[in-house]
Amino acid sequence: MTTAQIRFLSLVRREVNRFMKIKRQTVGAPLLETFLYISVFGAALGSRIKTLHGFDYVVFVIPGLIMMAWAINAFSNNASSILQQKFQRAIDDQLSSPASPRELLLAFSSGGFIRGMLVAVLTFTASSFLVDLPVEHPLVLIPALFLVGFFFAQAGVLIGVRAEQFDDVSFAQTFVLQPLIFLGGVFYSASLLPEPFQTLTHFNPIYYMINLVRYGFLGYTEANIALSLGLLTLVTGALFTLNYRLFARGWKLRA
Amino acid sequence: MAHALEITDLTKRYPTGTEALRGVSLDIESGEFFGLLGPNGAGKSTLIHCTTGLAQPTGGSIRVFGHDAIDHYEEARLAVGLAPQEPNLDFFLTCEETLDYHGGYFGMPRKERRERSKELLDAFSLTSKKDERTRTLSGGMKRRLILARALMHRPRLLILDEPTAGVDVELRLELWQYVQKINSEGTTILLTTHYLEEADELCDRIAFIGAGQIAATGSAEELATEYGVTSLEDAYLALVGRKELSRAHIVDEVP
Repeated sequence: MTTAQIRFLSLVRREVNRFMKIKRQTVGAPLLETFLYISVFGAALGSRIKTLHGFDYVVFVIPGLIMMAWAINAFSNNASSILQQKFQRAIDDQLSSPASPRELLLAFSSGGFIRGMLVAVLTFTASSFLVDLPVEHPLVLIPALFLVGFFFAQAGVLIGVRAEQFDDVSFAQTFVLQPLIFLGGVFYSASLLPEPFQTLTHFNPIYYMINLVRYGFLGYTEANIALSLGLLTLVTGALFTLNYRLFARGWKLRA
Repeated sequence: MAHALEITDLTKRYPTGTEALRGVSLDIESGEFFGLLGPNGAGKSTLIHCTTGLAQPTGGSIRVFGHDAIDHYEEARLAVGLAPQEPNLDFFLTCEETLDYHGGYFGMPRKERRERSKELLDAFSLTSKKDERTRTLSGGMKRRLILARALMHRPRLLILDEPTAGVDVELRLELWQYVQKINSEGTTILLTTHYLEEADELCDRIAFIGAGQIAATGSAEELATEYGVTSLEDAYLALVGRKELSRAHIVDEVP
């Protein structure tokens, strides 16, 4: 293994180690939360709705919940981890190492990405035992989930670096991220909304992410798949480039 | 042979407009024990942060054993170990993990990390605490761990930023002994301190820094001669313009 590989793996190990040391909070709690959603919206509400576009309501909802779990965990993990390290100035140990801005950015992104993936995979596995969840288009599903995870991992890094206090992180999560996810159609089909809400939903980028993931699982979509995948790749690339430039400048990290 | 540290015309202006360093030039020879003295806000920590990548210089150059420390910093950073002023340990990690990750950030293979961390935990009487999280350590233990972490990757230049601030007499003497030992084994040391007797006792040469500029450099005796006084303390008081605080007359009056 080269020196650079050892360095990068150590940076990643630190991020994974952090969330695994508090796994009740970082893995257990999101899993419970997702299953509460499945119980409430699937079992309780589902008994009244029956089917949506030909799918059991609970089956219609689960793809969005899996995407939401990955997105929120990727975001909140990275934002909290970076802010905590900034507070303690423990981050100086990584910043004064020979690691390049690219290595630091990818390593700080990895913790949330891996945590999100873990919660998503566990949710998928457990859901598969409870309901018959198809995977119609894995070649769309896997890249879509990876892009969503990477996008929110980058968003978490950006907010964590920018944040001065924990309130800044919870503000972004509670007042921006969660409303966008909830209003993007995790629990319903946007085609059922009255105007102008149906049109407004089309301005929500998360609507396209949910459609991609739902298409991957169920084969059902309300948005153009190729266009959505292309746009998601584009915005994820743009966010990574922005973060890379900020890391290279040392923005809010180096005096 | 290249200097251990060669700083040329270094300037640092913070975004607030504060000029922390105003054209600092400084050479430290390989194997030297070098002291940097100056009042709070003189630019000591900024100089150290510029050398270790925690601050980005506005102008000038820094070379560590001939390697550029600003733009192509990998070799320079590998050669530097930093024990910062404020304990900045990662509360999620144990003592052993703190050393192991640090070694990893500097590219040390696993076997070497294991051996080196064991050696340092022994040397700093921390073996019994190796599996304890860093937040449970006493102040003195934190100081020792920070020094052990700085030494983990066997740096050729060790930077100690006020290492004995707030520590008890036994630990201060213990730290003195240790740093003298590693200096005698060839490690170059840059020490900042507010304890003049510490600089007097340990350092081969000392630089006075005030208002972001080097005011004088030399041995303790040379500095006293330069300021026309008889001790390092009086030379320092002359630097900061507080000659009236001199205790020289008290010594003179003792029969």
